[in-house]
Amino acid sequence: MTTTHQSPAPTTAPDASGSQLMKERTPRKAPALRADRPGVRVAAWASVIVCGGFGLLPVYWLLATSLTPRDQVFSYPPRLFPSEVSFEAYASLFSNSQLFTYMQNSIIVSVVTAVLSVIVSAYMGYSFSKFRYTGRRALMYFVLASQMFPQALLLVTLYTVFSAYGLLNTYTALVLSFTTFTLPLCVWMLKGFFDTIPNELIEAALMDGASRLRIIHSIVLPLSAPGMVAAGLFAFVRGWNDFIFALTLAGPDKQTLPPGLVNTYVGEAATAWPELMAASLVVSLPVALAFILLQRFLVSGMTAGAVKG
Amino acid sequence: MTAIVAYPLLTALVTAFFKQSLVVPGRKFVGFDNIVDVLQGNFFQLFQQTMIFTLGTTILPFAIGFALALALNTRIRGANLMRGLMLIPWLVPGVVVSFLWMWIFNGNYGVMNALLAPLGVEPQAWLAQPGTAMWAVIIAKTWQSFPWIMVMLLAGLQTVPRELHEAAEMDGAGTVRRFFAITVPQLKGIIGLVLLLEFIWNFQHFDIIYVLTGGGPAGSTQTFATSVYETAFRGYDLGHAGALGLLWLILLMALVVVYVRFSEKGEER
Repeated sequence: MTTTHQSPAPTTAPDASGSQLMKERTPRKAPALRADRPGVRVAAWASVIVCGGFGLLPVYWLLATSLTPRDQVFSYPPRLFPSEVSFEAYASLFSNSQLFTYMQNSIIVSVVTAVLSVIVSAYMGYSFSKFRYTGRRALMYFVLASQMFPQALLLVTLYTVFSAYGLLNTYTALVLSFTTFTLPLCVWMLKGFFDTIPNELIEAALMDGASRLRIIHSIVLPLSAPGMVAAGLFAFVRGWNDFIFALTLAGPDKQTLPPGLVNTYVGEAATAWPELMAASLVVSLPVALAFILLQRFLVSGMTAGAVKG
Repeated sequence: MTAIVAYPLLTALVTAFFKQSLVVPGRKFVGFDNIVDVLQGNFFQLFQQTMIFTLGTTILPFAIGFALALALNTRIRGANLMRGLMLIPWLVPGVVVSFLWMWIFNGNYGVMNALLAPLGVEPQAWLAQPGTAMWAVIIAKTWQSFPWIMVMLLAGLQTVPRELHEAAEMDGAGTVRRFFAITVPQLKGIIGLVLLLEFIWNFQHFDIIYVLTGGGPAGSTQTFATSVYETAFRGYDLGHAGALGLLWLILLMALVVVYVRFSEKGEER
């Protein structure tokens, strides 16, 4: 963006630029940045440093601890900079076969969830976007509102139902339960994508004698491939990050990484902090990667609807 | 969709009226007994703690996110890089957020104690004391939430027409004045949306609380979400979990309706 519009100072810092303003009230030819004024500049920097410190220092600490040799971690006060860099935490992580199982489960479940979510939500999103029928709006908002239902509560029934069908501790249970929370977002994301496909295109295809299904498969879906990739990655990340469903519906051999790590490390007398921090970094990597792949889309897609409304 | 969300939800709520166990099949209709039990139990303590958690984790990240959005919107040097880096806390999985803050707040070797020591603060076991545990949890959740708010508000700020600010500046309005007279009204829609969504999400947040404290110490960080979970999956008592869930959902809906009414009224003015 090349906007140069001016922004007020953050409320968190006092600023005395109001009086200065009066002196330089001559009309400007080129748009000057508000940040040119010292008061605002100082305030902006102050808030970036304070809030940025809050945001990034924990990240540094995560990284630093993961590289600290194990015997140095249990000292007080902690060393803010490890005196030597050690990869022993990462090494012991990759030699742990139980963690490898969790990782494998995470990948399988998240990928299947993503694919299933995209397939189902493509048809739902298309229906919401291009057809007009009674109850469409109600259904659309129901889908959105279902995101707000407490997961802990949903779990109570999902557990009894899966238990009745003997599905506990299976990938199926995890995929189905993950889909309950990936679908709403995917449906809305894809609906937004389909909305941008002109109706004329579909009408033209209809004129040429293409069937409704043919139109979806040969015209609409290929055109919205980027949207489907984005929705899929999004579903993948949500599945990857889930904790409560995998914790409850699966046992150690089918559990995904988040509950797996909790079971492995939390509650021990002397937690292996460097290892846990190293594991945390490894778990976060695929998410970060997915995000970098679709940063542009996510940020604009996430905010487009909200800003318009 | 309806099948996979609405049906489980309804069945969960129906269990409120039954005596039912997670592990023993069969159930018995008991009317409002479970609900009465829950209301006579620690319901109000739970409500209070859930509200403290929810309000804390809505207001704090909002303040930080808004401050950052405003600062980064002045296009100071490095704003784009900063915006990207700031998203990290939001990207990492909830359990990682919990692990990290569990380590930071560790009573024996935690970096929080080391940082506060020069200020004369005695080393604390932040997560193990009823007085500090809730705040520690709120801070961890705040760390996870603020980037999303920042992104949303930053996007909103970029839609505020520059002409408005220029015109106001011509008329002699100062920075603070313009903030309240232009920026805030222009962002009203998005601020309302962000606050509402954060409130709803935090009202039912589970992961970070559960991993950091498990509701303890002495139940001081127990919220509706963790309590329903504990009742159903540690106590195997589906009836009481359903009853608590029913009350929880009614409360959430009531609060959302009040909020929406309130903000609509604000719009008319």
